[in-house]
Amino acid sequence: MSSHQSIDQSREVKPSSGAVKIVEKQAQRRIFKIIVIGDSNVGKTCLTYRFCSGKFPDKTEATIGVDFREKTVDLDGEQIKLQLWDTAGQERFRKSMVQHYYRNVHAVVFVFDVTKMSSFENMPQWIEECDRHNLDKNLPRIFVGNKCDMKDKIAVNTNLAQKFADSHNMPLFETSAKDDEKANHVDAIFMTMAHKLKNAKPMMSPHMSRYTPGETREVINVRASPHHRGLQSINPNEEKTDNCAC
Amino acid sequence: MSGEESDFNQSDQNDWLEIDPQTEIISVISPDIVEPDVIPPKTEKDDKNKNKNLNLSPGSAAKRKKILRALKDGVDVSELQSFAINRGGLLTNELRKQVWPKQLGVKLSEITPKPDEDMLHGHRDYDQVVMDVNRSLKRFPPGMDDDERFALQDILVDVIMRVLVNNSELHYYQGFHDICVTFLLVVDEDVAFAIVEKLSQKHLRDFMDADMDRTKHMLNYLYPIIDKASPQLCEYMERAETGTIFCLSWLITWYGHVLNDIKHIVRLYDFFIACHQLMPIYLAAAIVLYRQDEILETECEMCFIHSLLSRIPDNLPFEQLISKAGDLYLQFPPEDLASEAEFRSQENDNRAKRQRANGVAKLHQWSWRNNIRWVSTHMPNYGRRHYLLTTAVAAVVTAALCYSTTDWGWIEWNWF
Repeated sequence: MSSHQSIDQSREVKPSSGAVKIVEKQAQRRIFKIIVIGDSNVGKTCLTYRFCSGKFPDKTEATIGVDFREKTVDLDGEQIKLQLWDTAGQERFRKSMVQHYYRNVHAVVFVFDVTKMSSFENMPQWIEECDRHNLDKNLPRIFVGNKCDMKDKIAVNTNLAQKFADSHNMPLFETSAKDDEKANHVDAIFMTMAHKLKNAKPMMSPHMSRYTPGETREVINVRASPHHRGLQSINPNEEKTDNCAC
Repeated sequence: MSGEESDFNQSDQNDWLEIDPQTEIISVISPDIVEPDVIPPKTEKDDKNKNKNLNLSPGSAAKRKKILRALKDGVDVSELQSFAINRGGLLTNELRKQVWPKQLGVKLSEITPKPDEDMLHGHRDYDQVVMDVNRSLKRFPPGMDDDERFALQDILVDVIMRVLVNNSELHYYQGFHDICVTFLLVVDEDVAFAIVEKLSQKHLRDFMDADMDRTKHMLNYLYPIIDKASPQLCEYMERAETGTIFCLSWLITWYGHVLNDIKHIVRLYDFFIACHQLMPIYLAAAIVLYRQDEILETECEMCFIHSLLSRIPDNLPFEQLISKAGDLYLQFPPEDLASEAEFRSQENDNRAKRQRANGVAKLHQWSWRNNIRWVSTHMPNYGRRHYLLTTAVAAVVTAALCYSTTDWGWIEWNWF
């Protein structure tokens, strides 16, 4: 079911003179912004694509600048929207282009490639990068080792990665965006993050949809764009919606 | 911004356009100049068959003939540039093979030979180039045989590395491979290298610095153009804090990274080779303006507008947009926008600095800010007023007490 359909089901349209007036009951929808960072070619795009669309991309490409993907998940009856910002790994982009996207993030996913030691060794630089952008140290951060399907090429020992993760107070996940059997695992990683965000009292308040529960509002000149978040509402029958912009 | 090459604000348009902008461009970018100019060519039989094979309309066939004639007559670059700009561009890859080198002054007999493999593989950017080329499958024709594609990917790495090795001041950026692959799909290895090398020294030079400061500066021309053409749209996008990253790949890959149809890509390359290095930004503005209604219907928030714009629909009317970009360029030339772009650059820098400074202070101020927020959200209106009034009175009383208990005698009042 697309999110667009769910919007239609939950609003009552009352035609009126001149403009379409829509009276709707909206529930609260929290939106969390997550930035995904790490060296070039570690699989940031594939991980976010796998989570948002449920599959491994056929043809991957270097990310130039920043890509945006999102997915709505249902956590204990609450609809949570996760916005994933997939960033370019090449140093020159992170130095001068990506800062804009560090603003107001609620969580950070650090990704390294378990088959490439240098991508692990560069992690302190990425953490420093976050500190430089003044991301709060209490924001949920997770540490993901990707490509663990390539068992014979593993270069970063789990213990080593675990030690690093512990020293930075982050949980470590080793996974593979490519391996279909690990698809649930990738989901679980992001869902863990979503749970953490949902239950935490974040320093920065999460972005809310503009209406509070049970509030009745009039919206004039409503557009039908599915992106029109102001109109998104919670439908109890709605399953997970996937609005992957991949 | 520094360096002569980067100083596009002051550069003479003719350096890039190589034709008189006031007379020629206005005529050549007008969309309906060439097509209706259909003079059924007095073609020979084989020429007719060729046009048929190339699937050219009568108008394009006539243009093709003109281009061939121009090539035969000797090199009049300005004429070739105008063919590249106006409707349909250079029409076919067969013509591109001949015209592109001439547009850029590439002499086929003077192409620098390929350095040995060790030189190419020892370069600082080699690993990054290989990673990006390995992931560039999308850029090759869908039906291409795997072996053929692998071979072409190896050549692509060599082309890129040759440019970098021959020009030690140039730095590889992700996206440069998208430019190189486009040329490699049209011309052979040596010519692709020579073309890309020329472009790296001219149009692409600013992207190939060690950092992206000058690239960022080029992106800052986008909003001034949009603002002049549609202040309402500009205000909306700025209110959403859309930024310019959505069109970063448009600029630095000349749209090669974002368009799916190679026909559209090479058509744009015709146009960009013939124009000022900021023309991809003018085209970006034309695309944004073309999608104005969609943007204004999207919620005024960065993520949604970024998401909408960063994907370019395949069915955009590219000829019309090229023409619009040319019009925007003439109406609002770079030199008229330079000060505003500079102002925006400074604003962005200041914002980044403020952000950093705020962040440092954030941890200290957080609880204070939260208290204020708590007060403002939890107190009813009259309570809020009461709170503020109490605070103000307390401040005055404290000041009065301080004044009365302090010995002010040490101040010499004539200081003031």
